[in-house]
Amino acid sequence: MNYDDYEQNYDYNSYDEYGSHTGDPNQDAEYNRQQYSMPETVKQFLNYFRNNIQEGPIFELQSLYELSWPKLTEDYFEKRPWPEESEVSEIVGDDPVFMILYKELYFRHIYARIQGGPTLEQRFNSFYNYCDLFNYILSASEPVPLELPDLWLWELIDEFVYQFQSFSQYRARLQKKTQQELETLNSNNKVWNVLCVLNVLHSLVDKSNIKQQLEIYASGGDPDSVAGEFGSHSLYKMLGYFSLVGLLRLHSLLGDYYQAIKVLENIEVHKKSQYAHIPACQISTSYYVGFAYMMMRRYSDAIRTFSGILLYIQRTKQLFASKTYQHDQINKQTDQMYHLLAICLVLHPQCIDESIQQTLREKSYHEKMYKMQYGDLAEFENSFVYACPKFLSPYPPPVGSILDDYSKEAIQHQTQVFMDEVQQQRMLPTIRSYLKLYTTLPLSKLATFMAQNNRNDGQWDLDKETQSLLIHLLCFKHKMKNVVWLKGASGLEGKFQSGSELDFYIDNDMIHIADTKVAHRYGDFFIRKILKFEDLNRKLHILKLPASSS
Amino acid sequence: MAETMKQTVASMLNGIERYNPDNLPTLERYVEMQSKENTYDLEANLAVLKLYQFNPHSFNLDITCQILLKALTNLPHTDFILCKCLLTEKQLATDPINQIIYLADILEQCDFQLFWTRIRTTPELTQKIVGFLDSIRKFVCHVVGITFQIIHRNHLAVLLGGIDDKTLQVWVKKYGWKFEENELVFIGNQDENIKTKNISEKIDFDSVGHIMASCR
Repeated sequence: MNYDDYEQNYDYNSYDEYGSHTGDPNQDAEYNRQQYSMPETVKQFLNYFRNNIQEGPIFELQSLYELSWPKLTEDYFEKRPWPEESEVSEIVGDDPVFMILYKELYFRHIYARIQGGPTLEQRFNSFYNYCDLFNYILSASEPVPLELPDLWLWELIDEFVYQFQSFSQYRARLQKKTQQELETLNSNNKVWNVLCVLNVLHSLVDKSNIKQQLEIYASGGDPDSVAGEFGSHSLYKMLGYFSLVGLLRLHSLLGDYYQAIKVLENIEVHKKSQYAHIPACQISTSYYVGFAYMMMRRYSDAIRTFSGILLYIQRTKQLFASKTYQHDQINKQTDQMYHLLAICLVLHPQCIDESIQQTLREKSYHEKMYKMQYGDLAEFENSFVYACPKFLSPYPPPVGSILDDYSKEAIQHQTQVFMDEVQQQRMLPTIRSYLKLYTTLPLSKLATFMAQNNRNDGQWDLDKETQSLLIHLLCFKHKMKNVVWLKGASGLEGKFQSGSELDFYIDNDMIHIADTKVAHRYGDFFIRKILKFEDLNRKLHILKLPASSS
Repeated sequence: MAETMKQTVASMLNGIERYNPDNLPTLERYVEMQSKENTYDLEANLAVLKLYQFNPHSFNLDITCQILLKALTNLPHTDFILCKCLLTEKQLATDPINQIIYLADILEQCDFQLFWTRIRTTPELTQKIVGFLDSIRKFVCHVVGITFQIIHRNHLAVLLGGIDDKTLQVWVKKYGWKFEENELVFIGNQDENIKTKNISEKIDFDSVGHIMASCR
């Protein structure tokens, strides 16, 4: 079957023929009770899809995956699962590899769209299906004859980690489980086990030699020279690369920020490379890297990571607009990153790109930053909880625990660690606001300001106030001097730098202050506007008005 | 000894092997060794905490305390936060972990005087870690080094834990600082590093090039 045949038969408008939902609840319920018969279009699609996975050109497979599948989902499976395995195999015949891939999409759709989420059984079956898939790919003695679009591979790995995350959360909510469910869970501890997930990701990394490839690539060599039999195949190479990002996410979810950053050795997050062409993957990478840096108090690195990717998103926004199912995820993560960037900038004021600054001045961000600057701890916490990853505990609550909800424990803990840090820095914004007004300031004078600010009864002792001010000043210097990445393969490396815009030193009794003064930037703005205008002008010239064409 | 151990341990931290609970006894011994020989290996210690995270029944309070205290010896690096993130809230509340958390908290706030008072009341807490107090003094010197141009001699001695004159001289010499008149200590010329920056706008030729080209 070639593409044209398919196109002829594929008629999106023939929707009604197959008896879809009417919109009337009673009739719909009736319809659901009837034996469901698969629409002809779907049958044709499944056959065509299968053939293309076997031997089709990759661009065709890409369009089936990115366009046809979501379109059919919208038309026929908005609120119901795709057809069962048995129904599908009746149509496409005996094709184990296709069935595994189909089931992966089938379960993914259930996780994303079906109300109430997947059942325990579906979670288990999805896990077993992943095992089948990875066994097929990893245990082969030579590379398997399969090629999938890179976006598919990325979403596959990302979904695998997501479903693990989802299971861990589900597993930790003991309060709504039946006795039977608990028994099943307790006797199946291997399913969605963290070690199993780690093992899959590590095996994909090892099988593809992706680490060696990245190392050679970073030093300007040809990655194929170390790729080996498997790693030179696109399927293995990209699965390996995406598994590194999967590990980044997994480590972050477990609060292991050191490993999170370390796993990306030899990947320069902002740099364009042959591996970095899936926007969703790029965005996810930057989100987790930036977050890990923020937790490690490497604010400069976090700010650089967030503003880099946010700038990229700003400039390529139109690109994602068409693909709705990715769009939601990207929008959410973008908003989260603006929140995290806002937090970092409050803790560590620093110059950033003007257009990002512009967005932060808008909307709710501005108000949130203002509140945080004035020491509103609740605002810090809210922003953090909204923007942080969904942390999880790697192990289920022990058998026999009180039937309670344990799914929030991990997130509470990470929030607490972050809030401890904020609490330690609570005096710094006030000190900064005074220092900003001077180039030199005697210690005693600042101590007086601080005392007047903190106490309104006038009952204070200058010596004591100066003592406590000195402690805060030391803390200021300590907290604002952080490791900053400069160069090198590992994102963990770096040198201590003071990247914040205000700095000072103490000369016995006198504080000497150094501020950063930024001249207004007009050039960038005008250059962009001029180019935009030129572009518009050019388009206008190309336009042919009906009158002139006749 | 810790040096040779480092090689053995490195192979245990590679890939999936890192999560093998059978390695735990060796890694724990390595922690003890670091405490005794005043060496440090963050990555190996994080691997231990990770194994505890995955195998809660193997959790060892004493080893965890040593790891946390060792992390403090590496201030101003944020190793302590990394360790904290791998533990649970319940573990942090356990005695004496909660005491170590408190020490970390006052150190992070640079309330050194309070820290030394606290240490004097609970000396047994950190006794197992050889060179612990001097490591903290190094951190104090780091903070002093980035903050002061000139500091009062007494103030410096207090920050370093109320050390006597002779010891103070050793520390001052070690960091290349100088005693000056009027009981002052000269730390270094900060005005060379810390000065007001003016960021003015620079437009590079490339970006104007486009415009010039389209203006023909």
